[in-house]
Amino acid sequence: MRYVLRRLALYAVAAWASVTLGFVLPRLMPGDPATMLLARLRGKLSPAALTAMRDALGFADGSILRQYVTYWRHLLHGDLGLSVAYFPVPVGEVIGTGLLWTLALAGSALLVSFSLGTLFGALAAWRRGGWLDSVLPPALALLGAVPYFWLAMLALLVFGHVLRWFPLGHAYSLEREPSWSPSFILDVARHAALPALTLVVATLGTWMLGMRNTMVALLDADFIKLAWAKGLPPRQIMLRYAARNALLPNVTGFGMALGFVLSGSLLTEIVFSYPGLGYLLVQAVRNKDYALMQGLFLLITLAVLAANFLVDVTYVWLDPRTRAHA
Amino acid sequence: MRALGLAAFIAACSAPPPPARDVLSVSVEQASSWVRNFNPLLVGTARWPTRGGIYEPLLIWNAVSGAWVPWLATSYRWSDDHRRLTLTIRDGVRWSDGAPFSAEDVAFTFELLHRHRALDASGLWDFLDGVRAVDAHTVELTLSRPYVPGLVEVAQQVILPAHLWRRVADPVAFTNPNPVGTGPFTEVRVFRNQVWELGRNPRYWQPGKPEIAALRMVAYPSNDQANLALVEGEIDWAGNFVPAIERTFVARDREHHGYWFPALGSTVFLYPNTRRPPLDDVRVRKALSLAIDRQRVVDIGLFGYARPSDGTALSDAYASWRDPAVAASAWVGHDVAAAAALLDEAGWTRGADGVRSRAGRRLAFTVEVVSGWSDWVRAAQVIARDLAQVGVAVEVRAYEWSAWFERLQSGEFELSIACPGLAFSFDAPTPYYAYRWIMSSPAVKPLGELQPTNWNRFGDPRADALLGEFEATDEGPRQKELMRQIEERFAATAPAIPLFVSPLWGAFNTRRFTGFPSAANPYAKLSPHSAPENLLVLMHLQPRAR
Repeated sequence: MRYVLRRLALYAVAAWASVTLGFVLPRLMPGDPATMLLARLRGKLSPAALTAMRDALGFADGSILRQYVTYWRHLLHGDLGLSVAYFPVPVGEVIGTGLLWTLALAGSALLVSFSLGTLFGALAAWRRGGWLDSVLPPALALLGAVPYFWLAMLALLVFGHVLRWFPLGHAYSLEREPSWSPSFILDVARHAALPALTLVVATLGTWMLGMRNTMVALLDADFIKLAWAKGLPPRQIMLRYAARNALLPNVTGFGMALGFVLSGSLLTEIVFSYPGLGYLLVQAVRNKDYALMQGLFLLITLAVLAANFLVDVTYVWLDPRTRAHA
Repeated sequence: MRALGLAAFIAACSAPPPPARDVLSVSVEQASSWVRNFNPLLVGTARWPTRGGIYEPLLIWNAVSGAWVPWLATSYRWSDDHRRLTLTIRDGVRWSDGAPFSAEDVAFTFELLHRHRALDASGLWDFLDGVRAVDAHTVELTLSRPYVPGLVEVAQQVILPAHLWRRVADPVAFTNPNPVGTGPFTEVRVFRNQVWELGRNPRYWQPGKPEIAALRMVAYPSNDQANLALVEGEIDWAGNFVPAIERTFVARDREHHGYWFPALGSTVFLYPNTRRPPLDDVRVRKALSLAIDRQRVVDIGLFGYARPSDGTALSDAYASWRDPAVAASAWVGHDVAAAAALLDEAGWTRGADGVRSRAGRRLAFTVEVVSGWSDWVRAAQVIARDLAQVGVAVEVRAYEWSAWFERLQSGEFELSIACPGLAFSFDAPTPYYAYRWIMSSPAVKPLGELQPTNWNRFGDPRADALLGEFEATDEGPRQKELMRQIEERFAATAPAIPLFVSPLWGAFNTRRFTGFPSAANPYAKLSPHSAPENLLVLMHLQPRAR
């Protein structure tokens, strides 16, 4: 319990630091939101309008310390401010257009990729030199090395445009009203299949190789030999002894990846016209949209911290040694 | 393999229904998800249909025919001293909620911009002094000084319903989720993060119009996705760039697929920073201009779609203003010998490495471009090679867009490729703004201060005087003569180096709708990026008979 509490305190400090960084970093970029708006005036320019717009954007002016205090005050009230790139739509609403879709697509792709990769890795290490071990790792390493953009475009062209197995983009059929009905969920699954598949194919290799390599090293360890000597069933040795221990580094990686799910998968979103946070983040950076950037950074930060916390807890469960130290 | 098989099975059991036949699918804005915002006044974020569908202006300037089209106003009249503009407002127009439209709404809209300067994007109140609804169908605007070019800003201002916007506490931060307008499309039928539809206004003032049931906007995050949808026949009207359009789009269905890329867009310039020697020397600027092979810039940089600029730097939207003598002047021709002679005259002599220098200073520049704007980057590379031939060393440097723009505005650059206002097109009846934004001195600030226009930081007192005189007259012949002198001044001083006139991208599919403007039927611009002129197109389109 003390271990968990200590971790929580650490997380509070980390959260404060990253929120502050999320506030400072955008402001270190050249230019400010009003200047970027000016760029989009499409040739119609009025200094008076510009000054007024600066005022309307609020916290673009004033000393940075005052902006910082205002930011925290608004944040504690749950107010993320108005987006500049999508002015005057509140940041929460802008993020809302992509949040669920990013969570669903990137989240499920990560889950599938992690579980399959870890499973394949364990099997490959267990039957070292078997067909799984000799075919999959090089094939997946090759696919992982292909630039993702190209891979996704090719998948869209072949399976969407030529073979017509999958829709050409978007998260659901445009004629459908989003709902929780089975037919709509099926429709979403149909649309998510190809983008998710490309994400899985591109990342599967990392999980598999990581798991395989750790486990291969472990299989020579003394406690495995002991387990064999004790005459335990091979299945139990593979899962309870080898895989469980080999899982630790992959779980750390999974925690990191889980946190970064919310930064979106920009290229997937662009290639498959899929709504999501990656595109919004790029829009925010392009338009010096401090409010939207802060909102997204905050979300990503909290997600990374939460995922790390989960990993910590999982560690305690997976690895008895951490319990002993705590 | 199993995953593929399952997906194919899912794909087989729910095929999407095709788009309705009388809904026009338009690709103008790019996004990965839509955000509900219908405020038509906001600089930069006002979306296309708010200015080309929901709300309407007083008059529409048709850049193709070169004429004003009466819209919510039926006519305008200048007073003799050009300090009073009287507009006659159309009778029988209703707002989409049924309330009658009147001169009150017009006066209210202009007053609203005065109270909230952040909404006054075009700077109306820089020259307006007051606005008054004389009666239900007459509005009178008074100006603080004679300013005839301001007509276009007044005329194309979209008008809002006073009875609703009067109650909006903060119109700057108002997203106007359920718009009420006078335009042909006002009813938001569908709004989802991937698609939204704007249905016909049941009370539209033009009888029998529009014939389209609704406009449909689908979220495509970039050109590639929009182009794929265009080729697939999901989009009826598109304004995105389509590479090799003859082969990729037209050839797929010659009967229905068409495009029109007229040279009505902005002129793209090589901007010299005239505050940085030796670019303050007109001979150096003209030598750079003479060394550039514009045809090659266009062929390589823009796949031949653009037109090399003539000596006036004017697009075809100003064809009637173009002085033939200035247009044909030699300074925009490709003449390496003349360029070398000018540099010799200015005292720049070739060194051993082939680069010119004067008093120990090499004639070397950096051309700044936006990374990712591949057409301009290619153009800059051609220019760099051309300039090397006359002994000018040029390095092309690509910046991320906001850094590039910051450097352009603050005068940190030496040479930069840009077009005035970074706009698709100007949509003004006269070339007044085109020249003011490149050679008017009042706008020039010291280096380091941000400058919204005149990035070349060039001011010419004689051009100022001519532009000032132009502001105070609306007599055709006098305007023409003044503009001719301004063009001459432009060619003489070479404040910036014109490269090419951008085409306006526009493509259409007549499988569901007919009546798009084209080279054969040029009644208005095709490019859907031209609100409010696009209203003219929306009035013309007809669904095909079933």
